[in-house]
Amino acid sequence: MPTLETTQVSGAIDTLPDFTSEQYKDAYSRINAIVIEGEKEAYNNYLSLGQLIPDKADELKKLAIMEMKHMKGFTACGKNLGVTADMVFAKEFFSPLHGNFQKAFKEEKLTTCFLIQAILIEAFAISAYHVYIRVADPFARKITENVVKDEYLHLNYGQEWLKANLASCKDELMKANKENLPLIKSMLDQVADDAGSLEMDKEELMEEFMIAYQDSLLEIGLDSREIARMALAALV
Amino acid sequence: MFGLIGHSTSFKDARKKAMDLGYDHIAEGDLDVWCSAPPQLVEHVKVVSAIGKTIEGAYIDSCFVPEMLGRFKTARRKVLNAMELAQKKGISITALGGFTSIIFENFNLLQNKQVRNTTLDWERFTTGNTHTAWVICRQLELNAPKLGIDLKKARVAVVGATGDIGSAVCRWLSQRTGVSELLLVARQQKPLLELQQTLQGGKILGLEEALPQSDAVVWVASLPKNLEIDKSILRNPCLMIDGGYPKNLDEKFAGSGIHVLKGGIVEFFADIGWSMMEIAEMEIPQRQMFACFAEAMLLEFENCHTNFSWGRNNITLEKMDFIGEASIRHGFSVLGIQPDLKSSFA
Repeated sequence: MPTLETTQVSGAIDTLPDFTSEQYKDAYSRINAIVIEGEKEAYNNYLSLGQLIPDKADELKKLAIMEMKHMKGFTACGKNLGVTADMVFAKEFFSPLHGNFQKAFKEEKLTTCFLIQAILIEAFAISAYHVYIRVADPFARKITENVVKDEYLHLNYGQEWLKANLASCKDELMKANKENLPLIKSMLDQVADDAGSLEMDKEELMEEFMIAYQDSLLEIGLDSREIARMALAALV
Repeated sequence: MFGLIGHSTSFKDARKKAMDLGYDHIAEGDLDVWCSAPPQLVEHVKVVSAIGKTIEGAYIDSCFVPEMLGRFKTARRKVLNAMELAQKKGISITALGGFTSIIFENFNLLQNKQVRNTTLDWERFTTGNTHTAWVICRQLELNAPKLGIDLKKARVAVVGATGDIGSAVCRWLSQRTGVSELLLVARQQKPLLELQQTLQGGKILGLEEALPQSDAVVWVASLPKNLEIDKSILRNPCLMIDGGYPKNLDEKFAGSGIHVLKGGIVEFFADIGWSMMEIAEMEIPQRQMFACFAEAMLLEFENCHTNFSWGRNNITLEKMDFIGEASIRHGFSVLGIQPDLKSSFA
Protein backbone atom coordinates (compact mmCIF):
# COMPACT_ATOMS: atom_id res chain seq x y z
CA MET A 1 0.00 0.00 0.00
CA PRO A 2 1.36 3.48 -0.75
CA THR A 3 2.07 5.69 2.24
CA LEU A 4 2.24 9.43 2.59
CA GLU A 5 6.02 9.08 2.87
CA THR A 6 6.30 7.42 -0.50
CA THR A 7 3.88 9.66 -2.30
CA GLN A 8 4.66 12.86 -4.07
CA VAL A 9 1.73 15.16 -3.49
CA SER A 10 0.89 17.32 -6.45
CA GLY A 11 -1.50 20.18 -7.07
CA ALA A 12 -1.47 21.21 -3.44
CA ILE A 13 -2.47 24.81 -4.09
CA ASP A 14 -5.86 26.08 -5.16
CA THR A 15 -5.39 28.57 -7.96
CA LEU A 16 -7.73 31.19 -9.34
CA PRO A 17 -7.69 31.62 -13.11
CA ASP A 18 -6.78 34.87 -14.89
CA PHE A 19 -10.28 36.20 -15.60
CA THR A 20 -8.97 38.64 -18.21
CA SER A 21 -7.06 36.19 -20.41
CA GLU A 22 -8.34 35.45 -23.89
CA GLN A 23 -8.36 31.73 -23.20
CA TYR A 24 -10.54 32.26 -20.12
CA LYS A 25 -12.96 34.55 -21.94
CA ASP A 26 -13.21 32.20 -24.89
CA ALA A 27 -14.08 29.24 -22.63
CA TYR A 28 -16.39 31.46 -20.59
CA SER A 29 -18.39 32.39 -23.67
CA ARG A 30 -19.51 28.76 -23.93
CA ILE A 31 -19.78 27.89 -20.21
CA ASN A 32 -21.74 31.07 -19.49
CA ALA A 33 -24.04 30.33 -22.44
CA ILE A 34 -24.68 26.81 -21.16
CA VAL A 35 -25.64 28.14 -17.74
CA ILE A 36 -27.96 30.77 -19.26
CA GLU A 37 -29.51 28.20 -21.60
CA GLY A 38 -29.87 25.74 -18.71
CA GLU A 39 -31.80 28.25 -16.63
CA LYS A 40 -33.94 29.17 -19.64
CA GLU A 41 -34.64 25.49 -20.26
CA ALA A 42 -35.66 25.13 -16.60
CA TYR A 43 -37.95 28.17 -16.92
CA ASN A 44 -39.71 26.70 -19.95
CA ASN A 45 -39.85 23.21 -18.50
CA TYR A 46 -41.55 24.33 -15.29
CA LEU A 47 -44.09 26.32 -17.27
CA SER A 48 -44.75 23.24 -19.44
CA LEU A 49 -45.16 21.07 -16.37
CA GLY A 50 -47.73 23.55 -15.09
CA GLN A 51 -49.81 22.74 -18.16
CA LEU A 52 -49.74 19.05 -17.29
CA ILE A 53 -50.66 19.65 -13.61
CA PRO A 54 -53.06 22.64 -13.80
CA ASP A 55 -53.82 22.67 -10.07
CA LYS A 56 -50.10 23.12 -9.35
CA ALA A 57 -49.55 25.60 -12.16
CA ASP A 58 -49.08 28.54 -9.78
CA GLU A 59 -46.47 26.76 -7.73
CA LEU A 60 -44.61 25.69 -10.84
CA LYS A 61 -44.83 29.19 -12.25
CA LYS A 62 -43.12 30.52 -9.13
CA LEU A 63 -40.29 28.06 -9.73
CA ALA A 64 -40.09 29.12 -13.37
CA ILE A 65 -39.81 32.78 -12.36
CA MET A 66 -36.99 31.94 -9.96
CA GLU A 67 -35.11 30.20 -12.77
CA MET A 68 -35.63 33.26 -14.96
CA LYS A 69 -34.13 35.43 -12.22
CA HIS A 70 -31.09 33.13 -12.15
CA MET A 71 -30.80 33.37 -15.91
CA LYS A 72 -30.63 37.16 -15.67
CA GLY A 73 -28.00 36.94 -12.95
CA PHE A 74 -25.76 34.73 -15.06
CA THR A 75 -26.26 36.95 -18.09
CA ALA A 76 -24.89 39.79 -15.97
CA CYS A 77 -21.84 37.65 -15.09
CA GLY A 78 -20.88 37.37 -18.76
CA LYS A 79 -21.43 41.07 -19.37
CA ASN A 80 -19.30 41.92 -16.35
CA LEU A 81 -16.36 40.08 -17.90
CA GLY A 82 -17.01 41.56 -21.34
CA VAL A 83 -17.89 38.17 -22.77
CA THR A 84 -20.62 37.46 -25.32
CA ALA A 85 -22.32 34.18 -24.53
CA ASP A 86 -22.29 31.71 -27.42
CA MET A 87 -25.99 30.89 -27.35
CA VAL A 88 -25.91 28.93 -30.61
CA PHE A 89 -23.45 26.52 -29.05
CA ALA A 90 -25.53 26.27 -25.87
CA LYS A 91 -28.75 25.51 -27.72
CA GLU A 92 -27.04 22.71 -29.58
CA PHE A 93 -25.49 21.50 -26.32
CA PHE A 94 -28.91 21.15 -24.67
CA SER A 95 -30.79 19.92 -27.74
CA PRO A 96 -30.75 16.14 -27.02
CA LEU A 97 -32.04 16.65 -23.47
CA HIS A 98 -34.43 19.35 -24.67
CA GLY A 99 -35.74 16.97 -27.34
CA ASN A 100 -36.32 14.20 -24.82
CA PHE A 101 -38.18 16.54 -22.48
CA GLN A 102 -40.39 17.83 -25.28
CA LYS A 103 -41.21 14.30 -26.44
CA ALA A 104 -42.13 13.24 -22.89
CA PHE A 105 -44.17 16.41 -22.45
CA LYS A 106 -46.15 15.74 -25.60
CA GLU A 107 -46.80 12.20 -24.43
CA GLU A 108 -47.71 13.61 -20.99
CA LYS A 109 -45.10 11.45 -19.31
CA LEU A 110 -44.75 13.40 -16.09
CA THR A 111 -42.24 11.03 -14.52
CA THR A 112 -39.83 11.41 -17.42
CA CYS A 113 -40.31 15.16 -17.44
CA PHE A 114 -39.57 15.41 -13.73
CA LEU A 115 -36.56 13.10 -13.97
CA ILE A 116 -35.05 15.27 -16.69
CA GLN A 117 -35.78 18.62 -15.07
CA ALA A 118 -36.04 18.09 -11.33
CA ILE A 119 -33.35 15.43 -10.95
CA LEU A 120 -30.88 15.59 -13.85
CA ILE A 121 -30.86 19.27 -14.86
CA GLU A 122 -31.11 20.48 -11.25
CA ALA A 123 -28.26 18.18 -10.13
CA PHE A 124 -26.17 19.18 -13.15
CA ALA A 125 -26.68 22.86 -12.36
CA ILE A 126 -26.15 22.79 -8.62
CA SER A 127 -23.05 20.62 -8.88
CA ALA A 128 -21.51 22.94 -11.48
CA TYR A 129 -22.34 25.98 -9.33
CA HIS A 130 -20.66 24.44 -6.28
CA VAL A 131 -17.49 23.84 -8.24
CA TYR A 132 -17.68 27.24 -9.96
CA ILE A 133 -18.10 29.24 -6.73
CA ARG A 134 -14.58 28.28 -5.65
CA VAL A 135 -12.96 29.63 -8.82
CA ALA A 136 -15.34 32.39 -9.93
CA ASP A 137 -14.56 36.10 -10.22
CA PRO A 138 -15.89 38.08 -7.21
CA PHE A 139 -18.96 39.38 -9.06
CA ALA A 140 -20.00 35.98 -10.39
CA ARG A 141 -19.22 34.33 -7.09
CA LYS A 142 -21.75 36.49 -5.28
CA ILE A 143 -24.43 35.86 -7.86
CA THR A 144 -23.79 32.12 -7.92
CA GLU A 145 -23.84 31.93 -4.12
CA ASN A 146 -27.27 33.54 -4.11
CA VAL A 147 -28.51 31.15 -6.80
CA VAL A 148 -27.32 28.18 -4.74
CA LYS A 149 -29.06 29.60 -1.65
CA ASP A 150 -32.27 29.87 -3.67
CA GLU A 151 -31.95 26.30 -4.87
CA TYR A 152 -31.64 25.00 -1.34
CA LEU A 153 -34.47 27.15 -0.02
CA HIS A 154 -37.11 26.28 -2.54
CA LEU A 155 -38.86 22.98 -2.32
CA ASN A 156 -37.93 20.83 -5.28
CA TYR A 157 -41.46 20.26 -6.47
CA GLY A 158 -40.50 17.56 -8.96
CA GLN A 159 -38.69 15.62 -6.28
CA GLU A 160 -41.75 15.84 -4.04
CA TRP A 161 -43.99 14.64 -6.85
CA LEU A 162 -41.72 11.67 -7.61
CA LYS A 163 -41.61 10.81 -3.91
CA ALA A 164 -45.38 10.89 -3.60
CA ASN A 165 -45.85 8.78 -6.75
CA LEU A 166 -42.84 6.50 -6.45
CA ALA A 167 -44.75 3.22 -6.30
CA SER A 168 -46.49 3.85 -9.61
CA CYS A 169 -43.70 5.65 -11.44
CA LYS A 170 -40.59 3.59 -10.62
CA ASP A 171 -40.46 1.65 -13.89
CA GLU A 172 -40.79 4.76 -16.00
CA LEU A 173 -38.22 6.50 -13.80
CA MET A 174 -35.67 3.74 -14.36
CA LYS A 175 -36.30 3.70 -18.09
CA ALA A 176 -36.10 7.48 -18.41
CA ASN A 177 -32.91 7.48 -16.38
CA LYS A 178 -31.33 4.92 -18.66
CA GLU A 179 -32.05 7.11 -21.64
CA ASN A 180 -31.10 10.44 -20.15
CA LEU A 181 -28.27 9.96 -17.65
CA PRO A 182 -25.82 9.08 -20.47
CA LEU A 183 -26.71 12.45 -22.03
CA ILE A 184 -25.56 14.21 -18.86
CA LYS A 185 -22.33 12.24 -18.92
CA SER A 186 -21.66 13.22 -22.53
CA MET A 187 -22.55 16.85 -21.76
CA LEU A 188 -19.94 16.82 -19.01
CA ASP A 189 -17.40 15.29 -21.38
CA GLN A 190 -18.11 17.93 -24.02
CA VAL A 191 -17.61 20.76 -21.62
CA ALA A 192 -14.57 19.36 -19.79
CA ASP A 193 -11.89 21.32 -21.65
CA ASP A 194 -13.68 24.64 -21.32
CA ALA A 195 -14.42 23.95 -17.67
CA GLY A 196 -10.71 23.17 -17.23
CA SER A 197 -9.87 26.65 -18.54
CA LEU A 198 -12.02 27.97 -15.69
CA GLU A 199 -10.08 25.75 -13.22
CA MET A 200 -13.09 23.46 -12.81
CA ASP A 201 -11.91 19.83 -12.76
CA LYS A 202 -13.98 17.33 -14.70
CA GLU A 203 -13.44 14.80 -11.93
CA GLU A 204 -14.82 17.18 -9.34
CA LEU A 205 -17.77 18.17 -11.56
CA MET A 206 -18.67 14.52 -11.98
CA GLU A 207 -18.36 13.83 -8.27
CA GLU A 208 -20.50 16.82 -7.32
CA PHE A 209 -23.07 15.73 -9.88
CA MET A 210 -23.13 12.18 -8.49
CA ILE A 211 -23.57 13.52 -4.95
CA ALA A 212 -26.48 15.76 -5.94
CA TYR A 213 -28.02 13.01 -8.09
CA GLN A 214 -27.68 10.43 -5.34
CA ASP A 215 -29.12 12.82 -2.74
CA SER A 216 -32.17 13.51 -4.92
CA LEU A 217 -32.83 9.85 -5.54
CA LEU A 218 -32.44 9.02 -1.85
CA GLU A 219 -34.83 11.85 -1.07
CA ILE A 220 -37.54 10.44 -3.34
CA GLY A 221 -37.25 7.12 -1.55
CA LEU A 222 -34.97 4.85 -3.56
CA ASP A 223 -32.49 2.66 -1.70
CA SER A 224 -28.76 2.69 -2.29
CA ARG A 225 -28.72 -0.44 -4.45
CA GLU A 226 -31.43 0.92 -6.72
CA ILE A 227 -29.46 4.14 -6.98
CA ALA A 228 -26.31 2.17 -7.78
CA ARG A 229 -28.14 0.42 -10.59
CA MET A 230 -29.41 3.73 -11.93
CA ALA A 231 -25.97 5.35 -11.71
CA LEU A 232 -24.53 2.49 -13.77
CA ALA A 233 -26.14 4.14 -16.80
CA ALA A 234 -23.59 6.95 -16.48
CA LEU A 235 -20.79 4.51 -17.25
CA VAL A 236 -22.20 3.24 -20.52
CA MET B 1 -25.29 7.58 16.82
CA PHE B 2 -21.57 6.99 16.22
CA GLY B 3 -19.93 6.94 12.82
CA LEU B 4 -16.83 5.45 11.30
CA ILE B 5 -15.23 6.81 8.16
CA GLY B 6 -13.01 4.29 6.46
CA HIS B 7 -11.67 3.10 3.14
CA SER B 8 -10.36 -0.02 1.45
CA THR B 9 -6.69 -0.91 1.63
CA SER B 10 -6.30 -0.97 -2.14
CA PHE B 11 -8.18 -0.16 -5.33
CA LYS B 12 -8.45 -3.86 -6.11
CA ASP B 13 -10.04 -4.64 -2.71
CA ALA B 14 -12.33 -1.67 -3.01
CA ARG B 15 -13.73 -2.89 -6.33
CA LYS B 16 -14.28 -6.35 -4.97
CA LYS B 17 -16.08 -5.02 -1.91
CA ALA B 18 -18.23 -2.72 -4.04
CA MET B 19 -19.22 -5.69 -6.19
CA ASP B 20 -20.12 -7.74 -3.10
CA LEU B 21 -22.30 -4.90 -1.83
CA GLY B 22 -24.10 -4.47 -5.15
CA TYR B 23 -22.52 -1.13 -6.04
CA ASP B 24 -21.86 -2.29 -9.59
CA HIS B 25 -21.52 1.18 -11.09
CA ILE B 26 -18.50 1.86 -8.92
CA ALA B 27 -17.16 -1.69 -8.94
CA GLU B 28 -16.93 -1.71 -12.71
CA GLY B 29 -15.37 1.70 -12.95
CA ASP B 30 -11.71 2.57 -13.32
CA LEU B 31 -9.77 4.76 -10.89
CA ASP B 32 -11.21 7.91 -12.50
CA VAL B 33 -14.73 6.70 -11.75
CA TRP B 34 -13.69 6.11 -8.13
CA CYS B 35 -12.21 9.59 -7.97
CA SER B 36 -15.68 10.91 -8.88
CA ALA B 37 -17.64 8.51 -6.68
CA PRO B 38 -19.55 9.98 -3.73
CA PRO B 39 -19.03 8.56 -0.23
CA GLN B 40 -21.47 5.82 0.72
CA LEU B 41 -23.11 5.03 4.01
CA VAL B 42 -22.85 1.28 3.58
CA GLU B 43 -23.85 -0.17 6.89
CA HIS B 44 -25.83 0.45 10.06
CA VAL B 45 -24.92 -1.48 13.16
CA LYS B 46 -26.20 -1.91 16.70
CA VAL B 47 -23.69 -2.62 19.48
CA VAL B 48 -24.34 -3.69 23.07
CA SER B 49 -21.49 -3.06 25.48
CA ALA B 50 -20.25 -5.37 28.25
CA ILE B 51 -22.32 -3.40 30.76
CA GLY B 52 -25.45 -3.63 28.62
CA LYS B 53 -25.48 -0.18 27.03
CA THR B 54 -26.85 -0.19 23.47
CA ILE B 55 -25.70 2.22 20.79
CA GLU B 56 -26.23 2.53 17.06
CA GLY B 57 -23.72 3.46 14.44
CA ALA B 58 -22.99 3.70 10.77
CA TYR B 59 -20.01 2.91 8.57
CA ILE B 60 -19.24 5.38 5.80
CA ASP B 61 -16.89 4.36 3.04
CA SER B 62 -15.19 7.48 1.77
CA CYS B 63 -14.48 5.80 -1.61
CA PHE B 64 -10.90 6.89 -1.05
CA VAL B 65 -8.23 4.33 -1.91
CA PRO B 66 -4.51 4.67 -1.12
CA GLU B 67 -3.78 4.92 -4.86
CA MET B 68 -5.30 8.43 -4.67
CA LEU B 69 -2.71 9.73 -2.19
CA GLY B 70 -0.79 11.53 -4.92
CA ARG B 71 -3.89 13.44 -5.98
CA PHE B 72 -4.18 16.11 -3.35
CA LYS B 73 -7.50 17.57 -4.46
CA THR B 74 -9.12 14.16 -4.83
CA ALA B 75 -7.94 12.98 -1.41
CA ARG B 76 -9.15 16.21 0.18
CA ARG B 77 -12.58 15.91 -1.43
CA LYS B 78 -12.96 12.29 -0.38
CA VAL B 79 -12.37 13.12 3.28
CA LEU B 80 -14.48 16.27 3.34
CA ASN B 81 -17.37 14.66 1.46
CA ALA B 82 -17.40 11.70 3.83
CA MET B 83 -17.42 14.07 6.80
CA GLU B 84 -20.25 16.06 5.25
CA LEU B 85 -22.24 12.88 4.74
CA ALA B 86 -21.69 11.87 8.39
CA GLN B 87 -22.92 15.26 9.55
CA LYS B 88 -25.89 15.29 7.18
CA LYS B 89 -26.94 11.91 8.55
CA GLY B 90 -27.01 13.44 12.02
CA ILE B 91 -24.19 11.29 13.41
CA SER B 92 -23.06 12.70 16.76
CA ILE B 93 -19.49 11.46 16.83
CA THR B 94 -17.50 10.08 13.91
CA ALA B 95 -13.97 8.68 13.88
CA LEU B 96 -11.67 9.35 10.96
CA GLY B 97 -10.08 6.01 10.16
CA GLY B 98 -7.09 4.86 8.12
CA PHE B 99 -5.62 7.55 5.91
CA THR B 100 -8.54 9.94 6.41
CA SER B 101 -7.25 11.46 9.66
CA ILE B 102 -3.73 11.59 8.23
CA ILE B 103 -5.04 13.44 5.17
CA PHE B 104 -7.07 15.75 7.40
CA GLU B 105 -4.00 16.63 9.44
CA ASN B 106 -1.31 16.71 6.76
CA PHE B 107 -3.36 18.54 4.13
CA ASN B 108 -4.64 20.99 6.74
CA LEU B 109 -8.33 20.47 6.05
CA LEU B 110 -9.29 22.63 9.03
CA GLN B 111 -9.46 25.51 6.58
CA ASN B 112 -12.18 23.73 4.57
CA LYS B 113 -15.06 24.07 6.98
CA GLN B 114 -17.67 24.77 4.32
CA VAL B 115 -18.72 21.82 2.16
CA ARG B 116 -21.56 22.82 -0.16
CA ASN B 117 -24.37 24.02 2.12
CA THR B 118 -22.95 22.26 5.18
CA THR B 119 -20.68 23.98 7.67
CA LEU B 120 -18.69 21.16 9.19
CA ASP B 121 -18.94 21.06 12.95
CA TRP B 122 -15.58 19.77 14.17
CA GLU B 123 -17.13 18.81 17.50
CA ARG B 124 -18.74 15.87 15.73
CA PHE B 125 -15.43 14.27 14.71
CA THR B 126 -12.51 12.63 16.43
CA THR B 127 -9.20 11.33 15.16
CA GLY B 128 -9.41 8.60 17.79
CA ASN B 129 -5.75 9.17 18.60
CA THR B 130 -6.23 9.23 22.40
CA HIS B 131 -7.57 5.71 22.45
CA THR B 132 -4.96 4.58 19.92
CA ALA B 133 -2.16 5.98 22.10
CA TRP B 134 -3.59 4.32 25.24
CA VAL B 135 -4.01 0.98 23.43
CA ILE B 136 -0.43 1.05 22.13
CA CYS B 137 0.90 1.76 25.63
CA ARG B 138 -1.16 -1.09 27.10
CA GLN B 139 -0.03 -3.42 24.32
CA LEU B 140 3.55 -2.68 25.27
CA GLU B 141 2.92 -3.07 28.99
CA LEU B 142 1.04 -6.35 28.62
CA ASN B 143 3.14 -8.05 25.95
CA ALA B 144 6.72 -7.11 26.82
CA PRO B 145 6.70 -9.32 29.98
CA LYS B 146 5.40 -12.22 27.88
CA LEU B 147 8.62 -12.02 25.87
CA GLY B 148 10.72 -11.76 29.01
CA ILE B 149 11.27 -8.02 28.66
CA ASP B 150 11.14 -6.16 31.98
CA LEU B 151 10.09 -2.65 31.04
CA LYS B 152 11.58 -1.17 34.22
CA LYS B 153 14.96 -2.24 32.90
CA ALA B 154 14.23 -1.82 29.19
CA ARG B 155 15.11 0.73 26.58
CA VAL B 156 12.07 1.65 24.54
CA ALA B 157 12.33 3.63 21.32
CA VAL B 158 9.38 5.64 20.04
CA VAL B 159 9.70 6.25 16.30
CA GLY B 160 7.60 9.27 15.37
CA ALA B 161 7.91 10.57 18.93
CA THR B 162 6.82 14.11 18.17
CA GLY B 163 3.54 13.26 16.43
CA ASP B 164 0.15 13.39 18.11
CA ILE B 165 0.11 9.71 19.09
CA GLY B 166 3.89 9.49 19.55
CA SER B 167 4.15 12.31 22.04
CA ALA B 168 1.23 10.92 24.05
CA VAL B 169 2.90 7.50 24.12
CA CYS B 170 6.12 9.12 25.33
CA ARG B 171 4.35 10.94 28.15
CA TRP B 172 2.62 7.76 29.27
CA LEU B 173 5.73 5.61 29.09
CA SER B 174 7.83 8.07 31.04
CA GLN B 175 5.24 8.94 33.69
CA ARG B 176 3.12 5.83 34.05
CA THR B 177 5.03 2.82 32.78
CA GLY B 178 8.38 4.02 34.01
CA VAL B 179 10.60 2.48 31.37
CA SER B 180 14.31 2.47 32.09
CA GLU B 181 15.19 4.64 29.13
CA LEU B 182 13.10 6.27 26.47
CA LEU B 183 14.69 6.82 23.06
CA LEU B 184 13.09 9.58 21.05
CA VAL B 185 13.23 9.25 17.27
CA ALA B 186 11.73 11.69 14.79
CA ARG B 187 12.82 13.61 11.74
CA GLN B 188 12.77 17.17 13.03
CA GLN B 189 15.13 18.25 15.77
CA LYS B 190 13.26 21.25 17.11
CA PRO B 191 10.08 19.47 18.19
CA LEU B 192 12.25 16.64 19.53
CA LEU B 193 14.10 19.06 21.81
CA GLU B 194 10.80 20.55 22.95
CA LEU B 195 9.41 17.10 23.68
CA GLN B 196 12.52 16.15 25.63
CA GLN B 197 12.09 19.29 27.68
CA THR B 198 8.44 18.63 28.52
CA LEU B 199 9.23 15.01 29.38
CA GLN B 200 12.26 16.11 31.39
CA GLY B 201 14.03 13.09 30.04
CA GLY B 202 14.44 10.79 27.08
CA LYS B 203 17.37 10.49 24.76
CA ILE B 204 17.23 11.86 21.21
CA LEU B 205 18.69 9.44 18.70
CA GLY B 206 18.65 8.71 14.98
CA LEU B 207 16.69 5.65 13.88
CA GLU B 208 19.72 3.55 13.00
CA GLU B 209 21.37 4.27 16.32
CA ALA B 210 18.23 3.68 18.35
CA LEU B 211 17.10 0.34 16.89
CA PRO B 212 20.03 -1.87 17.99
CA GLN B 213 19.76 -0.52 21.55
CA SER B 214 16.03 -1.08 21.95
CA ASP B 215 14.26 -3.89 23.75
CA ALA B 216 11.00 -2.57 22.41
CA VAL B 217 10.16 -0.19 19.59
CA VAL B 218 6.89 1.66 19.20
CA TRP B 219 6.39 2.77 15.58
CA VAL B 220 3.90 5.56 15.12
CA ALA B 221 5.41 6.95 11.94
CA SER B 222 5.16 5.42 8.51
CA LEU B 223 8.11 3.28 7.63
CA PRO B 224 10.80 5.17 5.67
CA LYS B 225 10.71 3.88 2.09
CA ASN B 226 14.35 2.93 1.72
CA LEU B 227 14.96 1.70 5.23
CA GLU B 228 17.38 -1.23 5.22
CA ILE B 229 18.09 -2.67 8.64
CA ASP B 230 20.30 -5.63 9.36
CA LYS B 231 18.02 -7.66 11.60
CA SER B 232 20.96 -9.44 13.18
CA ILE B 233 22.03 -6.30 15.02
CA LEU B 234 18.69 -5.94 16.77
CA ARG B 235 18.09 -7.21 20.28
CA ASN B 236 16.70 -10.68 20.86
CA PRO B 237 13.97 -10.61 21.98
CA CYS B 238 12.67 -7.35 20.63
CA LEU B 239 9.03 -6.29 20.68
CA MET B 240 7.95 -4.03 17.87
CA ILE B 241 4.56 -2.41 18.00
CA ASP B 242 3.36 -1.34 14.58
CA GLY B 243 1.20 1.65 15.41
CA GLY B 244 1.55 3.41 12.05
CA TYR B 245 -0.69 3.22 9.04
CA PRO B 246 -0.53 1.17 6.89
CA LYS B 247 0.71 -1.71 9.00
CA ASN B 248 3.68 -3.07 7.07
CA LEU B 249 6.39 -3.60 9.69
CA ASP B 250 6.14 -7.38 9.76
CA GLU B 251 7.26 -7.52 6.11
CA LYS B 252 10.54 -5.98 7.17
CA PHE B 253 11.23 -7.19 10.66
CA ALA B 254 9.38 -10.32 11.72
CA GLY B 255 11.43 -13.34 12.73
CA SER B 256 14.61 -14.19 14.59
CA GLY B 257 13.53 -12.99 18.00
CA ILE B 258 11.75 -9.90 16.70
CA HIS B 259 8.07 -9.90 17.47
CA VAL B 260 5.89 -7.55 15.52
CA LEU B 261 2.51 -6.74 17.02
CA LYS B 262 -0.17 -4.81 15.14
CA GLY B 263 -0.52 -1.70 17.22
CA GLY B 264 -3.62 0.30 18.01
CA ILE B 265 -6.01 -2.59 17.44
CA VAL B 266 -8.66 -3.69 19.93
CA GLU B 267 -10.98 -6.63 20.21
CA PHE B 268 -14.57 -6.38 21.40
CA PHE B 269 -15.87 -9.04 23.81
CA ALA B 270 -18.72 -10.08 21.50
CA ASP B 271 -19.35 -10.36 17.77
CA ILE B 272 -20.56 -7.22 16.03
CA GLY B 273 -22.90 -7.75 13.11
CA TRP B 274 -20.99 -5.72 10.59
CA SER B 275 -19.12 -6.72 7.48
CA MET B 276 -16.99 -3.67 6.90
CA MET B 277 -14.04 -4.53 9.12
CA GLU B 278 -13.10 -7.16 6.55
CA ILE B 279 -11.85 -4.40 4.31
CA ALA B 280 -9.52 -3.27 7.09
CA GLU B 281 -7.95 -6.74 6.94
CA MET B 282 -8.66 -7.62 10.57
CA GLU B 283 -8.03 -11.23 11.51
CA ILE B 284 -11.31 -11.47 13.40
CA PRO B 285 -13.37 -8.85 11.57
CA GLN B 286 -16.49 -9.41 13.70
CA ARG B 287 -14.61 -8.31 16.82
CA GLN B 288 -11.39 -6.54 15.94
CA MET B 289 -11.07 -2.94 14.84
CA PHE B 290 -8.80 0.05 14.89
CA ALA B 291 -8.71 1.74 18.29
CA CYS B 292 -9.61 5.03 16.62
CA PHE B 293 -12.93 3.53 15.46
CA ALA B 294 -13.51 2.13 18.93
CA GLU B 295 -13.00 5.63 20.33
CA ALA B 296 -16.09 6.87 18.50
CA MET B 297 -18.04 3.93 19.95
CA LEU B 298 -16.72 4.65 23.44
CA LEU B 299 -17.63 8.32 23.20
CA GLU B 300 -21.14 7.27 22.17
CA PHE B 301 -21.35 4.74 25.02
CA GLU B 302 -20.29 7.51 27.41
CA ASN B 303 -22.57 10.16 25.84
CA CYS B 304 -19.47 12.24 25.35
CA HIS B 305 -20.27 13.98 22.09
CA THR B 306 -17.18 16.05 21.53
CA ASN B 307 -14.08 16.03 19.36
CA PHE B 308 -12.22 14.20 22.11
CA SER B 309 -9.07 13.76 20.03
CA TRP B 310 -8.40 16.75 17.82
CA GLY B 311 -5.41 18.73 16.62
CA ARG B 312 -1.86 17.99 17.62
CA ASN B 313 -0.38 17.35 21.06
CA ASN B 314 -3.61 17.76 22.98
CA ILE B 315 -3.63 14.23 24.40
CA THR B 316 -3.24 14.34 28.17
CA LEU B 317 -2.73 11.42 30.55
CA GLU B 318 -6.10 12.23 32.10
CA LYS B 319 -7.79 11.84 28.73
CA MET B 320 -5.97 8.57 28.19
CA ASP B 321 -7.16 7.40 31.62
CA PHE B 322 -10.74 8.33 30.78
CA ILE B 323 -10.82 6.56 27.43
CA GLY B 324 -8.83 3.59 28.76
CA GLU B 325 -11.23 3.02 31.63
CA ALA B 326 -14.21 3.31 29.27
CA SER B 327 -12.53 0.86 26.89
CA ILE B 328 -12.21 -1.81 29.54
CA ARG B 329 -15.64 -1.16 31.05
CA HIS B 330 -17.47 -1.51 27.74
CA GLY B 331 -15.72 -4.71 26.74
CA PHE B 332 -12.67 -3.91 24.64
CA SER B 333 -9.29 -5.57 25.11
CA VAL B 334 -6.05 -4.76 23.38
CA LEU B 335 -4.60 -7.05 20.73
CA GLY B 336 -1.80 -9.25 22.08
CA ILE B 337 0.93 -11.41 20.60
CA GLN B 338 -0.19 -14.74 19.18
CA PRO B 339 -1.02 -17.47 21.72
CA ASP B 340 1.60 -19.85 20.27
CA LEU B 341 4.25 -17.24 20.97
CA LYS B 342 2.85 -16.67 24.40
CA SER B 343 3.24 -20.34 25.26
CA SER B 344 6.75 -20.55 23.90
CA PHE B 345 7.82 -17.74 26.19
CA ALA B 346 5.79 -18.82 29.19
